[in-house]
Amino acid sequence: MENIIEVKNLAKVFGNQSALEDVNFQVKKGETFGFLGPSGSGKTTTIKILTGQLLQTSGDAEVFGVKNTALNTAAYRKRIGVLSDNSGLYQRLSIEENLKLYCDLYDVPRKRMEEVLDLVNLSGERKKVVSKLSKGMTQRVLLARTLLHEPDLLFLDEPTSALDPANSKQIHDGLRLLNEKGTTIFLTTHDMSEAETLCNRVAFLNKGKIQLLDEPKTLRRQFADGSVRLELKNGQIISLPGGAEGADEVYKYMSNNEIVSIHSNEPTLGDIFVEITGRELV
Amino acid sequence: MTFSWKRIYAIFNKDLKDLSKNLFVSSIIVLPILMAFLYGGMYDMNLELHYMVINLTLASVTAFIQCAVIAEEKEKHTLRGLMLSPASLTEILTGKSLVTLFLTAITLVLCSMIMDYEPASLGMVAIALIISMLFYIGIGTLLGLLSRTVVEASVIILPVIFLFGFGSLLMVLVDKYPALSFIEYLPNIQLVEFAYKVEEGLGFGDLWSHLAILLAWAVVSFIVTAFVYKKRELD
Repeated sequence: MENIIEVKNLAKVFGNQSALEDVNFQVKKGETFGFLGPSGSGKTTTIKILTGQLLQTSGDAEVFGVKNTALNTAAYRKRIGVLSDNSGLYQRLSIEENLKLYCDLYDVPRKRMEEVLDLVNLSGERKKVVSKLSKGMTQRVLLARTLLHEPDLLFLDEPTSALDPANSKQIHDGLRLLNEKGTTIFLTTHDMSEAETLCNRVAFLNKGKIQLLDEPKTLRRQFADGSVRLELKNGQIISLPGGAEGADEVYKYMSNNEIVSIHSNEPTLGDIFVEITGRELV
Repeated sequence: MTFSWKRIYAIFNKDLKDLSKNLFVSSIIVLPILMAFLYGGMYDMNLELHYMVINLTLASVTAFIQCAVIAEEKEKHTLRGLMLSPASLTEILTGKSLVTLFLTAITLVLCSMIMDYEPASLGMVAIALIISMLFYIGIGTLLGLLSRTVVEASVIILPVIFLFGFGSLLMVLVDKYPALSFIEYLPNIQLVEFAYKVEEGLGFGDLWSHLAILLAWAVVSFIVTAFVYKKRELD
């Protein structure tokens, strides 16, 4: 499958502080790629480099086969959408007035505004002034604005940070739908459940270096220790190791008809991150 | 380099709506209008006083509004959105500047009517005013890019209002201290000298040097502004 993003030996130094170090990855067309790491790990710096807002110190980054140093063009900007928790709207204007501006900037018909407002479930709120919106609604308007021109590639920098679970779910549903339609998504987050829900592949970024990169399912299997968790009829929950020893125990409980449920003890992405980096994802 | 009037008009339209709801910034146009009324009522108006009000309009309305709208785009993180859209530097700055020019033109016309100022050659004065406006647009944009908030912008613009709005008062110092003769080349002073020559009925041959100096100020302010914008665009 065609690579939309190719990053080779990317490094970025601010003053004498290294933000990115020898970063390598590719993002394939149509995939949702998760760039995971705690605050300050280099996620936003990577997005800024890939969107032509920042130049790297060394290494190569290509998007749509074009080097990032040549990305500062209207043609490239029409193909990408960028949403971060730092994106802003015009507070004194209504949702509709904000979106109309971007319809004209991207030269897309006004009817497209109806479609994106439907997608983020804000059709009935279009006349509301932005300053009166909740954080969740503002984030949905920003997503709507990002999707107006139907970008081929979406850069989402912590899109659901500070949102409640209901609003996050709504954003996730919208993103899944877009991805099904073929939009490639580059997602940075420190929310592991968000990554598990949305991403085809994830990279763990820590202190500017990629520590691990693979499919979430593969990583969980790779780091699983084979142990199982049993819920017994007496309400007890026990964890048993893999191998012959564990199998004997499971057999014993099963023979006595004491088991309510058995689950494999696969680690979460958060567990794996802590194991690899020794750091929590906050 | 792209240039789309549709995008420029979209930015102009947005800024006009936004400014109409932003009294903190748009109410600045009251200042020169009040001055025009005040001088008109108190003094026998002469060219010096006309141009004190006109220069104040350029320094306060043109430079401050431009500075404040740019600073607010930065403060609210909306400038980044524009920069990541297909709109080019020229389109963004043209769209934003048109609103400022529009409000400046209205203020200048109102002040001229209040002061009963009718230049001997409206065409020549209009050319000089347009070039001056470009300079103040450049200065306003530059200071807006350097400010982090609208409040900061309203402070950072004060020296500009003092120097260029009331700068003709500094001419007294030039006679006393010849080392300060560079003040004569400031755009506000050049504008006054230009206006005197227009009233004397002099033609383009005698006026072009003032226009050239004004243009040089405008070009320098645009070059510095473009440099700072590009630097900001790439962080």
